Amino acid sequence: MTKASQRVALTVISAALLAACSSDPTSPAQDSAPSLIVSTIPAGFPKGTNIELAPADNALTVERATLGKRLFYDPQLSRTSEVSCGSCHQQAYAFADPNPVSTGIEGRTGTRNAPSIVNAAWGKSFFWDGRAHTLEEQAGKPIENPVEMDLTLADAVDRVAGDPSYVDAFQKAYGEAPSEASLQKALASFVRSVVSGSSAYDRHLRGDDSDFGEQRKRGEALFASEKAECFHCHPAGSLSNEGYFNNGTYTAGGDTGREQVTGRVGDIGKFKVPGLRNISLTAPYMHDGSLPTLEAVIDQYDAGGRGDPTTDPLIKPMSLTDEEKADLLEFLRSFTDAALLEDARFAP
Amino acid sequence: MFGLGMAMFGGVLGCASAHSDRAAPGGAAGDLGANVAGTSAGGASDSGGASDSGGAPSGGASAMGDACVEHPTLLRSQGTELSLRLSPTLDGKPMAFGQPNTASDGGSVVPLNFRFYISEVQLLPKSGDPVAVDLVTQNGDAENYGTHLFNADDDDSSTVRVLAPVGEYVGFSFALGIKLACNQQSPRNLADPLTDVSQMTWPHTGGFLYLRYEGRYTAADGSSMTPSDIPSAVHMGGSITKEMVPRATVSGALPIDANGRAQANLYVAMDEMFRGATSNVDVSDVAIGLLSTPESIAGERLRRGLPDLHVFTLGEFQAIQ
Repeated sequence: MTKASQRVALTVISAALLAACSSDPTSPAQDSAPSLIVSTIPAGFPKGTNIELAPADNALTVERATLGKRLFYDPQLSRTSEVSCGSCHQQAYAFADPNPVSTGIEGRTGTRNAPSIVNAAWGKSFFWDGRAHTLEEQAGKPIENPVEMDLTLADAVDRVAGDPSYVDAFQKAYGEAPSEASLQKALASFVRSVVSGSSAYDRHLRGDDSDFGEQRKRGEALFASEKAECFHCHPAGSLSNEGYFNNGTYTAGGDTGREQVTGRVGDIGKFKVPGLRNISLTAPYMHDGSLPTLEAVIDQYDAGGRGDPTTDPLIKPMSLTDEEKADLLEFLRSFTDAALLEDARFAP
Repeated sequence: MFGLGMAMFGGVLGCASAHSDRAAPGGAAGDLGANVAGTSAGGASDSGGASDSGGAPSGGASAMGDACVEHPTLLRSQGTELSLRLSPTLDGKPMAFGQPNTASDGGSVVPLNFRFYISEVQLLPKSGDPVAVDLVTQNGDAENYGTHLFNADDDDSSTVRVLAPVGEYVGFSFALGIKLACNQQSPRNLADPLTDVSQMTWPHTGGFLYLRYEGRYTAADGSSMTPSDIPSAVHMGGSITKEMVPRATVSGALPIDANGRAQANLYVAMDEMFRGATSNVDVSDVAIGLLSTPESIAGERLRRGLPDLHVFTLGEFQAIQ
């Protein structure tokens, strides 16, 4: 976003931001419940709140996020009305899928593990291969994907346009009848509202170590060391550098990831670095959901990946001790934000 | 050390505004600079000669002073936009990012990650003191922190623009890295190009990498054995306690006239970078453990060797009316 557009965005959203910070009780969508939108920055994340990071043409408002939440959980957006976005991004699993790959309509399965949507407001690109540049662009693709929801956006719009309550909600949110653009914007708005920032790690970053003991500190130190080298891709704070790397999970003949977007041989086996908030809740792991536990993840990194020559040169055998593995595991568990799982604002 | 580093990265939550945390100079006992006193590459402000490099940034005029300012005030409101197109080469040929490139030994190199910072640009007149110039965006605004991040995977980053006063110049110089004041800041409190997205943060020193390279080599016979003179990774950084950014000087005629634009290629010879990174420059004075990885050893060798390398070369100059 240019500086000029940022200024416009800030101007446009200022009222919404103030309302969010005060949990505006006058919002018709919220009654006395906490606002769906809270202007926030999780500990250690870069500058800009989730509200400030929304694009100028889709300022984050309660009406838009509330509409987006309804759409997110509405199976009408799948051709057979079997699955919704929330079928694969389950709140109980920090908005990830406990299955290695998700099941779409008619039992169809894909090839990749559904990533968590938490803190996606700070994302720079979306999907494991980064083929979407904005949350708005991302929002429509699972709806149209043949192995996921298999519904054209035009048909999705027709369905919601047939429901007067939806028409009213779109009118309040966007001042217009449902459209493909506003449907995607509303979904993006809900995703932008889902923020996790109450883990022991977040508190640690804010100076409260009451739940961040010595083992977690040892794990943190190892995580940030040249021995483990985790920090190169998962920098402290946001825990993702938003880049694409081949972390050693890819093997010949497998999903080539980023290469499918760029066509470059050097991108074979590269996938977007995920953030690690709530990582202990989002098993199984890796782009293909092939690792069932965090212990298995640590073991794979310790081994230097699976041995494919395309593996990133920074992924090397580490010879971690059992104690070091336990320390790392405990550090990873500090990323869990239990409150997120029961936050009624994000529930259907 | 890590606890300090992590504390430094503390952020904010809720409606409160961000606070300005800052690395404590000297707090990171493991920074390279604490152990390489007096080894900043080359002497100060060496200039002249074909694309030689080295030395800490000179004490000449600066576009930003010593502070790390997100939106620095432009030194001059007008000038000729000089665009330098960064063009990596290998064995004298353009190097394609993410694709196999033939090396001089017949093997191939696939660059997987290549990026570096440029700051503190100075034009070198035929006589007189260097002329500090602003790094500007396509819109003419000052680049954040007076710093440009080249990312070989982002074509938009390949062009470096400076606002140049009219004059006859015989070259230019720049810091291959970021200024110390910025290196001392937490990326949590900074904007692009000094955020984690830069992929240049380096938490065990609390600072940033100045240059980062990773690549994959395949020998002509198909084996993946990396030769001794082509590294698989180079991570060049410095210190949060002292100025260690090397300075590159590039020779070439730059006749800047008024009311126009000018452009030139700035070639980046990967062979020279590899040569420096795999040289036998002694880094034994750096404490064991701080340079514990091949990539950081390679980076320090490159940093120290820059004065004798010819990594940057100016291409044909073109005035655009």
